[in-house]
Amino acid sequence: MNPVVSVLFVGGVLGIGAYVVAVLDRAFGPVSRGPRDWFVWPIRRAAFLAVQRRTETERPDAEAWILAPALLAALAAAGLTAVPVTPSLAVADVSAGVVLFGAAMIIVMVAVFLQGWSPNSLFPLIGAYRFAAMALSFGIPFSLVVLTTAIPAESLSVGAIVASQEGLWNVVRQPLGLPVYLVTGAAVAFWGPFRIPEGTDLAGGAVLEASGSARAVWRIARAGVLVTLSVMGAAIFLGGHLGPVLPGWAWTALKTLVLLAVFVWSGHAFARMRVERFVWFGWVVLLPVALVDVFASGILAL
Amino acid sequence: MIELILVFSAAIFGIGVYGALSQQSFVMIMMGLELMINATVLAIVVFWWGTTGGDPRGQLLVVVVLAVMAIEAAMGFALVTAVYRARKADITEKLKRLRN
Amino acid sequence: MSVLGVTAIVVFGVASVVTGWLVFRTDSMVRAAYWLMASFVGVGAMLVTLDSQFLGLILILMMAGEMTIMAIFMVMYMMNPAGLNPMVMVHQHRTAIAAGVGSFLLLATVALVADFPADPAPAGADPTAELGFELLGRSMLVFESAGVALLAVMIGAVAVAGKWGRFGDADAGSVEPPLDPEEAAS
Repeated sequence: MNPVVSVLFVGGVLGIGAYVVAVLDRAFGPVSRGPRDWFVWPIRRAAFLAVQRRTETERPDAEAWILAPALLAALAAAGLTAVPVTPSLAVADVSAGVVLFGAAMIIVMVAVFLQGWSPNSLFPLIGAYRFAAMALSFGIPFSLVVLTTAIPAESLSVGAIVASQEGLWNVVRQPLGLPVYLVTGAAVAFWGPFRIPEGTDLAGGAVLEASGSARAVWRIARAGVLVTLSVMGAAIFLGGHLGPVLPGWAWTALKTLVLLAVFVWSGHAFARMRVERFVWFGWVVLLPVALVDVFASGILAL
Repeated sequence: MIELILVFSAAIFGIGVYGALSQQSFVMIMMGLELMINATVLAIVVFWWGTTGGDPRGQLLVVVVLAVMAIEAAMGFALVTAVYRARKADITEKLKRLRN
Repeated sequence: MSVLGVTAIVVFGVASVVTGWLVFRTDSMVRAAYWLMASFVGVGAMLVTLDSQFLGLILILMMAGEMTIMAIFMVMYMMNPAGLNPMVMVHQHRTAIAAGVGSFLLLATVALVADFPADPAPAGADPTAELGFELLGRSMLVFESAGVALLAVMIGAVAVAGKWGRFGDADAGSVEPPLDPEEAAS
């Protein structure tokens, strides 16, 4: 794909996706005043943050503080490039596409850690540590379920993984894959029940000191990570652009929207988990389940 | 092209040697070691790319080096933890006496 | 190699050398860890440019996790956890500089003087797939040995770092660091 078109495409998908996330969040949220309010609220909120005054802290790590939201947005964009939206349209369907996606999602940990660490303030730092503890617990199950989808395709390229689901989607072929992906995916985007680094018990945690445009970019980037996770989840578990009647891009959009709705809904349906419980959950429950998923798919492939 | 990349690799390796020898803090010493392994990976891949005709065993060697890197990190952190538990030491100078 | 490829190699090469250098020039432990990660990302990008997509991406993936662990360890055990105060913690500085510069000159001379055979990897091949067949085919023993070594290290690391020891708890009889700097120096 042409470089300029690629940049516009990725930016457009992330921008529209972030808006959809905000609309859904308002719609599922406790304060919901009808459809008009759903669509207006994100814009009003963004306008408020755009003119809000920036907080200053004592001796922050200024460069890292500015770069952390940009890094998060860049990671969302990098993960998105590997996914083919239609059979022929992908920014870069590289031969190790799911590894690219996995690497981008693991570096989210670095962005959150920098965001929490750089203001030189107590609660954000605690939030950063919480996310580091969390990320080390969900990182392995997340990578395992994503890479397992490559077993039936016999290729690490996302295009080949989508093509391998022609007869049977991976959500049926690997029944353990999608649930683990949804749980760990929500944790990657520290969304919903896993809003641990930004918990209200820390008065906002990692983003406590971020305000104004920095906070707005951080929020948009986090929604962008959620969009990337949904697009990739739709591609590797729900057959991506495959489907009858409708054109490929419409199927991708539809499946992405379903996953996005599940992610956003989970934020309002479940209570936030405590971090030590999540660490236990990650190592004792998610990791064995992910390993069973790998072995079952391996046996099936033989 | 190979020569240029090897010079980059040599520069990273030199920085790693400097770091591993000069730093007092255990974790910073490990960073020096990591940089040296990093340079090694780069050199192996450029030799694979330029001189072996695409023999996959060149890439295999990188996988082994990555395993070595993981082993180095795991054992390093384990030793740092053990030393800190016993001595509350975080820099090499605190370990001059090996007994007690 | 195309002009774009050469440009990418030069940019990423310079970036990974400079960030590698900044690891030891910064005052902050967290910055040091993430400069090191930036250096690895630069090398990973060079690997991708050299047709080794899988290895480059795996290198970046590994390093992101490892550097966060490293930052946590530094803040756990090292002095000056979250600050940006000036920090110089070096010993045998001149020897170290000489060794670093010496090893760079030696290796760079070898790189420039030696005559390497030119037998580039074929352009159309898929190195990722070839590596996969190599790992689980002819060289399975090597691959499995690496796996067994990692397992042994996991067990060994837990044994070394665990609180229990052969002679009772590992921290039994341990010494708290002295609060007085003069006493610490002696």
